[in-house]
Amino acid sequence: MSLTGSTSNEGNLSKQGYDMWLSWINDQGGITVGGVKHKVQIKYEDDQSKPDLSAQLMQKLITEEKAQFILGPYGSPATASDAVIAEKNQIPMVEANGAAQAIFNKGYKYTFGVLSPANKYLTGVIDMAATLSPKPTTIAMLSADDNFSVEVAQGVADYAATKGMKVAFDQKYPNGSTDVSSLVAQAKAANPDILMNSGHLAEAIAINKAAKDLGVNAKILAYSVGPSTPQFIKALGKDADYVYDGSQWTPQVKYTPAFYLGEADYVKAYKTMFKTQDDPDYHVAESTAACLALQKAIENAGSLDAQKVRDALAKLDVTTFFGQIKFDSRGLNIYKPMVVEQIQNGQHHTVFPQDVADTKPQYPTPPWAQR
Amino acid sequence: MSLLAQQLVLAILLGGVYVAVAIGFSLVWGILNIINLSHGAFIVVGAYITWTLFGRLGLDPFLSLPIDAAALFALGYLLQRGLINRVIRAPVFFTLLLTFGVNLAIVNLLLAVFTSDFRSVTPPYAGSGIVLGPVVIPSIRLAAFAIALLLAALLSLLMRRTRIGAAIQAVASDRDAAQLVGIDLRHTYALTYGIGAACAGVAGGLLSTVQAISPTAGEPYTLQAFVVVVLGGLGSVTATVVGGLLFGLIEVFGQSAPGLGAGYANAIAFAVLVIVLIVRPQGLLGR
Repeated sequence: MSLTGSTSNEGNLSKQGYDMWLSWINDQGGITVGGVKHKVQIKYEDDQSKPDLSAQLMQKLITEEKAQFILGPYGSPATASDAVIAEKNQIPMVEANGAAQAIFNKGYKYTFGVLSPANKYLTGVIDMAATLSPKPTTIAMLSADDNFSVEVAQGVADYAATKGMKVAFDQKYPNGSTDVSSLVAQAKAANPDILMNSGHLAEAIAINKAAKDLGVNAKILAYSVGPSTPQFIKALGKDADYVYDGSQWTPQVKYTPAFYLGEADYVKAYKTMFKTQDDPDYHVAESTAACLALQKAIENAGSLDAQKVRDALAKLDVTTFFGQIKFDSRGLNIYKPMVVEQIQNGQHHTVFPQDVADTKPQYPTPPWAQR
Repeated sequence: MSLLAQQLVLAILLGGVYVAVAIGFSLVWGILNIINLSHGAFIVVGAYITWTLFGRLGLDPFLSLPIDAAALFALGYLLQRGLINRVIRAPVFFTLLLTFGVNLAIVNLLLAVFTSDFRSVTPPYAGSGIVLGPVVIPSIRLAAFAIALLLAALLSLLMRRTRIGAAIQAVASDRDAAQLVGIDLRHTYALTYGIGAACAGVAGGLLSTVQAISPTAGEPYTLQAFVVVVLGGLGSVTATVVGGLLFGLIEVFGQSAPGLGAGYANAIAFAVLVIVLIVRPQGLLGR
């Protein structure tokens, strides 16, 4: 897990998610296997946000610490390198923080991801847009050139056509670009109804600033990664309002969990355990969900045998507070929808799908000059 | 046509940012012969000072620039005097290693203090701009551009018109002779490095208003500074200004190059760099 280094923030959130489940399951006496309760231990190593180191440490945990099952690291790159280790040692890995489909297209049999794959990140926004009036029809897409971001952008391009929308402007920028203003100027020239970014938090902030600077008055501003974090609102203040994003989970969703806690109790337990006023974000929730999937698979298998648990994972179909968890033949959870969030008056609100939303989208986004 | 005009405006304003980013780097390289790999980290430190003052005290980001400069000057002066000066006569490889180490230390310290969260300074007037028909000139970027040029002018004046500047120039041309005529070498070195760091601090303060910053965000700035200095040439403030503006133009028009797209922006920028190195190895205005 990336406990230090560039993604230490996300890594520590993921660890919180794992620890939430750990404390809960051991309070219950552990995982029940064939009528016997087994206490659970999670061993962590710090991969310093480096994918190669993550794979080395994973091997070490298997050989030296005799790890029986693997919970994933943070991020698509580290997950991709750890998947190789899981496969080589034939130990099932349930991961919650690597959404790039590239991880799952290599025919691996031991890697299972509980989160929605990258190509679905922004399709929820398209679904939502199709229900709004006046209906937006043109999209400008600015995308970073890493695997994950390209998949998100491609997902939008493929899906938009089926909803009668088209991508009028599409540009990739090098990952880690520090200036995006000229791309935003080009996007403005295409006069899009929807301005989208498939990238990372830093670029989402820069694009939102440039959109205001240059007066890009799209009806929808939607960014794949970034707006769901509290940092986005802190960095932009009022300018963060009206922005949409696709999120794996929000504290407002309403599912009917088969076991473990409901959404409200989960939020309460999180605040108590970590002595914070902040809601758990989706990194925390999806990490807890990975533990739940592994637990259920072990219980279903009635065994601690790696092979039997792998087979139970492949057959798993269960609803948790995080949504449905069920894997396709590649180990991807394509059954859980992404939810759409919008920032309204400095607060995150879930606005789509309607059956889990807590409020309506504020649409269209008013022009910058009238805010 | 209006898109072209808008791009041109953005390119020139971006060039101003590059001037600010590169000017201190150029000074330290030109005078001390140190390729300062911790330059990007200094920029980020400046950005965090501005962010902290804005967040805690509500101080306008442009008013905090002198504080950035003073703090970074002190940091730079002490670092050079206490640490880097020990290897100043060693081959360039040693100063590279040492400044790289300083960079790692600063980045990890920032991570410990500020966490890896992204931050940005958004004052109330962010997003306002001068509208000329279809072209928008964002006021924050315009102000940043003006300050970058002012910084360049001040540095140029300092080098040409003051005793400190004369001492720095003397040390650069012949350090033994300079010592003979009574110039305190260690003090002058540390001053130069401090001034370079102060320029980085100002650049950081400016960047915090237009971009998102995090402790690890400094590396691209070191690279950009390097490219700007190589393009423009070592040894004069004017060369850095020309290099910075040129690099801004290349980046922006590289992003919209017909038939290629923004993914090639870096490739185009570095291709131009290679061509300049082949045709004029000393840089466009280098001596």
